[in-house]
Amino acid sequence: MKRSDRITAVVVLTALALVAVAWVVVHQTRGTVAVIQVDGRVVATVDLRSREPQTLHIAGVLGPLVIAVDGEGSIRVVEATCTDQICVHTVAARSPGDQIICVPNRMVITVEGEGAGIDALAQ
Amino acid sequence: MVPVVALIVVGAGLAAFAALRGSPGPVTSTYFLMDTVLTVTTTGGDAAAINEQLHALASGVDKLTSYYNPESETVRVNAGAGRGPMSVSPEYSALLKAAVAVEAIDHGKTFDIAIAPVSALWGFSTKDFRVPAAKEISETLAYSHSDQLTIADTTVQIQDPRARIDLGGVAKGYALDVMEEYLHTVQPQPQQVIVDFGGNLLLYSGGRKRDWKVGIRDPRGQGIIGYVRSGDAFVATSGDYERYFERDGTRYCHIIDPLTGYPGTLNQSVTVITEIQPLHGAIGDALGKVFFCSTAETQRSLFRDVQNRGVVGIVIVDAAGTQSTLGPITLVPAAAQ
Repeated sequence: MKRSDRITAVVVLTALALVAVAWVVVHQTRGTVAVIQVDGRVVATVDLRSREPQTLHIAGVLGPLVIAVDGEGSIRVVEATCTDQICVHTVAARSPGDQIICVPNRMVITVEGEGAGIDALAQ
Repeated sequence: MVPVVALIVVGAGLAAFAALRGSPGPVTSTYFLMDTVLTVTTTGGDAAAINEQLHALASGVDKLTSYYNPESETVRVNAGAGRGPMSVSPEYSALLKAAVAVEAIDHGKTFDIAIAPVSALWGFSTKDFRVPAAKEISETLAYSHSDQLTIADTTVQIQDPRARIDLGGVAKGYALDVMEEYLHTVQPQPQQVIVDFGGNLLLYSGGRKRDWKVGIRDPRGQGIIGYVRSGDAFVATSGDYERYFERDGTRYCHIIDPLTGYPGTLNQSVTVITEIQPLHGAIGDALGKVFFCSTAETQRSLFRDVQNRGVVGIVIVDAAGTQSTLGPITLVPAAAQ
């Protein structure tokens, strides 16, 4: 094989790979995941389709947060050191768009995924 | 020859990538502000810059209205209570007048921007919650009314030195007003913007989208009770299910009924949808409290007064959990989705 042929082959393969990546990016169907952010940074991403219950210990800005994933598609805050306990009062999140917020800890849990069926949530 | 072929192939690859990516996706930004979260999702236009500007505008409203920020006009006016007229900006005066106008539809029985001293008794300002004695409440309630306020175009006077203004009941809605005004002028126009400010919404598409689906949070269970369809609008919700405390099995929510001085117990949640009109974000926010502290009968009569003044519709879940709507909107049950 000539050197120029090899270069062409590499270039063609690279281009095909690029198209393949684009295809995957566009057509992937995301499952339902819960993204946990503290102070604007993602600290954990949880697959809510998992059948395994799990407990997460997250460091909030104020103190520790205990977050429970029930293995049936829901996530909620079970313990927090904030005084208002709004995050603990918030019902478990399970549908795309659901949010649980702890302002004192600057912590936000957002459920992402397709099939929300609504544009926005009034609450 | 080889470089030309390479260039063509790479170019075709990039073009295919761009085509498959299609139009730009939404850009979501989250900010902490006013003791809650501001989430902005912008599609099209200079989305990231729009989100930043919306946050800056909301911060400006916080600085104008905050009950705590020492630089705010509220703090300055409150500090001058009982000491004659205090100068305020025309913007601040206009917001106070809009809030007091909403109070007037029910003679201040269901919403009052001067209820703060009573809220403070319950610990909602310090989050050091307690159930005050009845006598404390009645004594404090005597001066916690906006008839203590004299509002002129550039001055506000508070008669009783113990009375206070708290715009927490309209500030988020007003911030949506300010954001909406900016969105109308920005170039290039975004395709659509969803602003979620602590559950209060601005749905903006420059009038192009007429079929927003707005989910209504289930005030007791998980998820939503259903959704309503709307064009561009402000959507304000007052509920008892997030900001509350419990003592001896009783739930005390943060919305104080100005008639009794006790937390409202007539409803679990009220969602008010208002048209895109000047100050209708703030008005919808205030109306949420009015309807939250009203009986079903009062709600129906009040709605007749406001339905031709830019209020599209209201979704109500009463204390028994019964769902109802006022106005030409339909609550599509979650199960029917």
